[in-house]
Amino acid sequence: MSLFSKYLKGWRFRSSEPTFEPGDEISVFVAETNGTDGRAYVGDTRLTVEGAGPETVEKRVRVRVTEFDDSSATGRGELLEVVGESSYTG
Amino acid sequence: MSGGSDGPPDGDPTDTFVEGTGDEEPRITFYGGRGMSALPIGVFIVWAIVQTALWRISDTGGLIVGMLFGLVIGMFFVRGNWASYANTIFEGMTQPVAVTAIVAWIWAGIFAQLLQDGGFVGGLVWLADLAGVGAALFPAATFVLAALFTTGIGTGYGAAVAFVTLFFPTGLLLGASPVLTFAAILSGAIFGDNLAPVSDTTIVSAVTQDSDIGGVVASRFKYVIIAATLTFVGYVVAGQTMGGIETGAGAANLLAEASDPIGLVHLVSMGIVIGAAIAGRHIVEAISWGIVVAIAFNLVLGLAGIGEIVTFSAPADAPLAQPLADLPILQIVDDADAVGVSGSVMEGASGFFELSILVLLIIAAAQIMIRGGAFQAILDWSLENLATNVRNAELTMVASAALINAIITINTAAEVAIGPYISKIGERFNLNGYRRANILDGQTAALGYIFPWSGGVLAGYQAMEGLPGEYEWLDQGMLVTPIDVVPYVFQGWLLVAVFVVAAITGFGREYVTDRESEEVARV
Repeated sequence: MSLFSKYLKGWRFRSSEPTFEPGDEISVFVAETNGTDGRAYVGDTRLTVEGAGPETVEKRVRVRVTEFDDSSATGRGELLEVVGESSYTG
Repeated sequence: MSGGSDGPPDGDPTDTFVEGTGDEEPRITFYGGRGMSALPIGVFIVWAIVQTALWRISDTGGLIVGMLFGLVIGMFFVRGNWASYANTIFEGMTQPVAVTAIVAWIWAGIFAQLLQDGGFVGGLVWLADLAGVGAALFPAATFVLAALFTTGIGTGYGAAVAFVTLFFPTGLLLGASPVLTFAAILSGAIFGDNLAPVSDTTIVSAVTQDSDIGGVVASRFKYVIIAATLTFVGYVVAGQTMGGIETGAGAANLLAEASDPIGLVHLVSMGIVIGAAIAGRHIVEAISWGIVVAIAFNLVLGLAGIGEIVTFSAPADAPLAQPLADLPILQIVDDADAVGVSGSVMEGASGFFELSILVLLIIAAAQIMIRGGAFQAILDWSLENLATNVRNAELTMVASAALINAIITINTAAEVAIGPYISKIGERFNLNGYRRANILDGQTAALGYIFPWSGGVLAGYQAMEGLPGEYEWLDQGMLVTPIDVVPYVFQGWLLVAVFVVAAITGFGREYVTDRESEEVARV
């Protein structure tokens, strides 16, 4: 990204419910888990991350989106790998 | 939105999502419950409010003692072995957040001092003199120049002092409103404190939100420039209606006396640091280039001698002192108290020594709060009651950062304390590091220069109180009382307003899925 374009990035009104397409590979922080699957919130969009257990909570994980419903802003995806930590680990 | 009342799209029966990492038990337990782990930082906040807001003592050293006091008191409430508490202090202090900020501060401090000692402000005074602005436009012009100066040197407190010393008396002589002139200086300081890559608050906002400093600066430009444009218009309009006072002095030649166009070469030094940081260079590398160029300009153009950049003051009986006494960086002193190292480089670095110790202690206290469970309790309550969706989460981030900065005078300390909270709330909604850093620093910069107890206002007012002794025509009655300036610090109020609107409308919002901030590990 050029120096100038960095200044122009983000001059827009972003939806509180971003949408995804099946097949998208995204990186998200997992907020909570039920023991076997995790839940990530991207804004007010909810994603169920299959296979994201307690060890992934508050970690940044790579997820492949498998299904997504635009009308309810919910979707599912499969866990690919853990790629990062929270800024603060407690 | 916390908890698991909302099901996934296909009606997954196992819909009982809970927070936590499986390591739910706090590692330190306190008499009185997990809330007591907030005691050290609670003591510090009370101490900071009493010292800085109620007694108006803007002294970082005093805050260090307050934080130490809090950490010691907290220890007495630990159940069982106190060693775990002590170890957590060290665990907190060794977090990358603290050391990264300290390293960047020291580099930035040296760079800022080189620009100040290299006549940068004199160059800007020359610009003001050249433009020949009258009384009505003087506050608006002062705002622009103070913003430019602070963007170069990073420290809004330093800019407030330098500009009050030079531009405030000039404004009085020109017949500009003294309240507007002081407010415009503070507004300019906010602009630079918020935007400069070498600003201490910019650095803290980036490292606490795991983002690169150059990316943070570029991404926050949109908020800053919107507020600044409105601020400029505000000072132009207010300048027409708010008049000055009769000084009884002669021609306004104060600007001409202090002006020296050669200092403007430091716009190049400043441009190199900003350009390199935004181009993605390591911040230490970017500032180092700025330091090298600033030293070269100072020496080649005669803005400062080598001895002003660094001087060793050695006692006469030192083994190699006399033989090397001709070196420009060495002077022999008779007074034992005068022995030491001085100059721009030393002053710039040492200006951040106390703040460095303070940030280590605050991070340690934050770690006690995290390990003791109080942080999670506050976070759970916030997610349950305040940050119930992404819009409310951002409004909560704006309000909490604004509140703590409004009550603690030294805004960098307040920013370090609230950093983990902003991070956790934002990460939950996958707001990317740039957005989190921008929300955090917008309030930090703005609220640090508005109220009578704010550090920036105190620094500027202290400089102003020295003016009657410097100019015969300037008496105490011409000075501005800090409370009078509050409504006119337009950049501060507008910056907060821009972020409130941005949170409500989604302007500038970026998710981790839109763009990941480049790792702070590069710092």
